[in-house]
Amino acid sequence: MLRTPLEGIERAHGANLGLFAGWLTALDFGDPISECRATRSSATLFDVSHMGRLEVDGNKSFELLDKLITKDLSTLNPGEMSGPALILNENGGIKDDIMVYMVNDNKWLIVCNAVNRVKDINWLLEWRDRLGFTNGDVSVKDLTTDSVLIAVQGPKSLELLESIGIKDACKISLLNFMQNIRVGELSIYLISRSGWTGEEVRSYGFELWTDVLNGVKLYESLIKAGAKPAGLIARDILRIEMGYVLYGNDIDEAVSPIEARYWMALSRGKDECVGCDRVWSKYVGGVNRLRYGLKLKKGVKHILRRGYKILAGDEVVGEVTSGSYSPTIERSIGMAYIKVDHAYIGFNLDVDIRGNRYEVKITDFPFI
Amino acid sequence: MSEAHITVRTSTGEYLIRLDVRYTESDEWVLIRGNTALIGITDYAQKKLRSIVNVELPAIGKYVKKGESVAVIESVKAVADVYSPLSGRILEVNNELLTHPEYINEDPYGKGWIIKLEISDVNEINDLLSHEKYIEKIRSSE
Repeated sequence: MLRTPLEGIERAHGANLGLFAGWLTALDFGDPISECRATRSSATLFDVSHMGRLEVDGNKSFELLDKLITKDLSTLNPGEMSGPALILNENGGIKDDIMVYMVNDNKWLIVCNAVNRVKDINWLLEWRDRLGFTNGDVSVKDLTTDSVLIAVQGPKSLELLESIGIKDACKISLLNFMQNIRVGELSIYLISRSGWTGEEVRSYGFELWTDVLNGVKLYESLIKAGAKPAGLIARDILRIEMGYVLYGNDIDEAVSPIEARYWMALSRGKDECVGCDRVWSKYVGGVNRLRYGLKLKKGVKHILRRGYKILAGDEVVGEVTSGSYSPTIERSIGMAYIKVDHAYIGFNLDVDIRGNRYEVKITDFPFI
Repeated sequence: MSEAHITVRTSTGEYLIRLDVRYTESDEWVLIRGNTALIGITDYAQKKLRSIVNVELPAIGKYVKKGESVAVIESVKAVADVYSPLSGRILEVNNELLTHPEYINEDPYGKGWIIKLEISDVNEINDLLSHEKYIEKIRSSE
């Protein structure tokens, strides 16, 4: 079991800890629903130190990443991020969804799902060998356990960073980052304008990456400046409100990005990378199921849970992969893969909740 | 909360233990008064479930067996059955929870109580855990 380096300070602020992807980390601070509301209305802090952080270095680093990642990285400039991008297996199934940061032509950073960190490193090294590159051509370094990653999300996030002295935060635009920022005593390795709550879409989100010692101080000073700590359950609810997929729940190696409708992680026309050809042939040839949103009627308080069946008459036409209660729209929401000939957006199908049927509306994303 | 409580700290958090009640392995508490038992879920259980959004309660007058599911609690995290710690007849249910399921989070040993039973077999009380045993149970399951 790995433990977040912020465990001590999070406990001091009332965290309930639990396991996520092999990490003991803060799942909530007493009330995930109010943590969501605080994110949407003010600003909250999420410890996302469990997420994998890799450095890919060397004069063949672009070639390696270009071969393995769905996004067109050739259009990036130093200081820019790819947005959501995918690593695919050779069948076009999703190995991971990641974010790529371009430091310079020969140095790239990757933030990946905690659950896939080791798998991704092995895949990068395997393909380095297959492409005939050496350790000198391209190296892969795991920076995860020596650092912390803190997401500051919500409409007051910029104000908050400025109030602790990060005056340049306003200069960072969406999906851009700055490095080696000094603020008084604090030294921060990287600040990006990004996130996974939906607040980043409105440019209301930052992610701060630094070493452990500075991370603890940073967390404390952000709390002192008025940020409310939030946990991974709130983060899960916020991402479901946006229709974002969670690896292992909504996507995995058996799912095609076309079925997941993960359009934002693909670059149309890039069919040279591993698995990309399979994705685009599926795009042309068609798929049998697609991911859609689900909404229970107002007042129905059940939560849509992974594995619940979607029914049209007596036929099972889909299955829930994620769900939660949305405090923003005050409804139970979720997502499911539904057979394309029953994906009636705007109409209702039924969902079987422990033997009882409830009407569920088929919708697009986001929910808010 | 006027009753005596202690706080137990484990690797995942801090949990309140009420001292004048008995417990079950499945995280219910039982307050015995004469031949009645007031039943709820523990602070440890509510913290594992987190924000509770829905509670399904049994019918008054129904007979339940020890270990039988008597209520269903849904949170943003999970669905959990509440198992009757004792056999008996349902005397009362906490209807407040239908509109305020969050009472279980806010005050699990107080206004978050779930059902009241008329005990049909007092011998079963001996099978319930003391608070010391329940603390051991929490510690060993971490």
